[in-house]
Amino acid sequence: MLSGGDTSDIFMVKENLDVMKWAQQGFAKPLTDYIANSGFDMSGFVGMEPNYAVDDVQYALPFRSDFWVLFYNKTLFDEAGIAYPTNDMTWEQYEALANEITGKSSCKYGAHNHTWLSAVANFAVCDGVNTLLDGEYSDLQYFYELALRMEASGAIRPYTEVKAANLHYSGAFQTGDTAMMPMGYWYVATLINNRKEGLYDFDWGTTALPHKDDVPAGSSFGNLTGVMINKASQNKDLAWEYISWLCGPEGSQVTAATGNRPAWVSSEVADVLASVEGFPADENSKAALIPTQVSIEIGTHEKLAEIQTVLNEEHTMIMTGEIDVAEGIEEMNERVAEVLE
Amino acid sequence: MAESTVKRRKRGMSRLERKNTLIAYSFLAPNFLGFAIFTLVPVVCAILLSFMEWNGGSISAIKWVGLDNFAEIFKVEKVAEKWAEGNYFYFFNRVDLGIALKNTVFYTVVTVPLTLVCSIALALALNKVKGAVAFRTVFFFPYVASMVAICVCWNFMLMKDGPINQMIMALGINFNKSWTADSTMAMWAIILVSVWRSMGYYMVIYLAALQGVPRELYEAATVDGANKWQQFLNVTLPQIKPTTFFCSIMLIIGCFKIYDTVAIMTEGSPGRATKMLVTYIYDVAFNQIKYGIASAISMVLLILVLIVTVIQFANEKKFANV
Repeated sequence: MLSGGDTSDIFMVKENLDVMKWAQQGFAKPLTDYIANSGFDMSGFVGMEPNYAVDDVQYALPFRSDFWVLFYNKTLFDEAGIAYPTNDMTWEQYEALANEITGKSSCKYGAHNHTWLSAVANFAVCDGVNTLLDGEYSDLQYFYELALRMEASGAIRPYTEVKAANLHYSGAFQTGDTAMMPMGYWYVATLINNRKEGLYDFDWGTTALPHKDDVPAGSSFGNLTGVMINKASQNKDLAWEYISWLCGPEGSQVTAATGNRPAWVSSEVADVLASVEGFPADENSKAALIPTQVSIEIGTHEKLAEIQTVLNEEHTMIMTGEIDVAEGIEEMNERVAEVLE
Repeated sequence: MAESTVKRRKRGMSRLERKNTLIAYSFLAPNFLGFAIFTLVPVVCAILLSFMEWNGGSISAIKWVGLDNFAEIFKVEKVAEKWAEGNYFYFFNRVDLGIALKNTVFYTVVTVPLTLVCSIALALALNKVKGAVAFRTVFFFPYVASMVAICVCWNFMLMKDGPINQMIMALGINFNKSWTADSTMAMWAIILVSVWRSMGYYMVIYLAALQGVPRELYEAATVDGANKWQQFLNVTLPQIKPTTFFCSIMLIIGCFKIYDTVAIMTEGSPGRATKMLVTYIYDVAFNQIKYGIASAISMVLLILVLIVTVIQFANEKKFANV
């Protein structure tokens, strides 16, 4: 469409790779001047906006982001008489909490890890420094060891069983025997709907993802959807006015009111999201909607898919215990280096 | 002289003959059209694509790259480099294509004979037994059941604490892991399911073949003092040889194309332990969106199947005639 000389004013970007492609092909209007001239404050994007910049030139604004949070089953914690998880929990505290609640009253598993690569490896990118594309994966070691340790202690379901049974994460959490589960924000809508439909019956809450000691609390990761301005547009100034409203402090509240999670982070957005019927009423759950920093799940690279294939394959090797963590990391380093050659 | 006969025949084709010929073609046309549109054209496109680079999107983005795709999938430079270092198995141990080839060939080499043996055994057992029809239905059932349902059920049965592992443990063998999570056993899980699924189908074909073996041959063999086993080896097996030939061709081609079982049961995991040619093609084409490279891999598959088929048909007379 774009190569056909289309003059639509703005367009949405689903894949990050498209930003790079369209910027190179000259379809995207650079936004850097607009941002400087209008004094648009990007702090509400909590670190997401550089994902839409090529060589320091901003080409798009983040519009939506379903970053990850920690879901927990309040009913199980109440029954066990254990305090709820908090927004500033470290991964060690999370592990200890999971171990503590496992086996108490009707809690069979202290936590649930889905089978995805992102449900282990991506916790490492929350620090905003590491990425899954840099070809160096020693930063994942901590999280693989954590996952395997929790498996060994019985705090989470074994990966192999979850995989063989094709257990969906909603199935795992909604059976009501699982105390905590890290998952993307999109699961909130499912949880609210499923409760209305009577598919489960317990109270739940959300907190920020746990963090490592040296990473600020409230750091998360997620995917992005963005908006760009067409270089061929006849109304570029108007288009900027619109997208800076849409993605900024005001438009994001409107987006939130439609039940979607805007990329913009503010207490106003959190208020709107928390006012949705069925969303947990406590202050902690609302605070979890205000992350301090959001990193991208997996960035942009021309060999992205090949790297993902390698990481996924080695992920299964580590999680099934076919090779130990150190070997797995070494394999990831070596094989991704071959892809990048 | 022969030429002139042909000419005369052509010229001499009567209206009736011409009409009949046209009718014959018109009967063939629907099938051929379907074949041309849905098979022939895509095959030709795939052959052409294997020499091109195309990452989806508009057709104008297609670029001719010659043999680059093949160099890429065979990792020619890297393999040559490792070969020079004395690492001769690099291709089969580290390169995706080598691993997929190795896995597919291993799967085929084990599955084909195993399926043949099981289906002959079943056919012999159910040839003249009471309630044979009921049993035949039971054994044929997996073939018509949904593949997804089958694979999910087997996944459950092969789980760590599943019934199969419990039986194995009861026999005193210490194996306490999900089959599909073990690098060695994952492949055997897929072989097991494949054999179990298709043996009923080939059993039916063998049952038909067994009906066609003349009784007199057994009578004669009995008179000659042959026991049951000798009769099986020297009468039954040679008599059903054409069926075995047919079944083995169908099985080998089917095995090379293995996809669904793997996609549902293991997705190629753990690691690359069950990565097959077709799952590899799928990954490259539809996850990595590299149609050129995926087509190049499918050419490797095509050539493999072609070699097998040519060998078999060259020896058809030897195998297929009683």
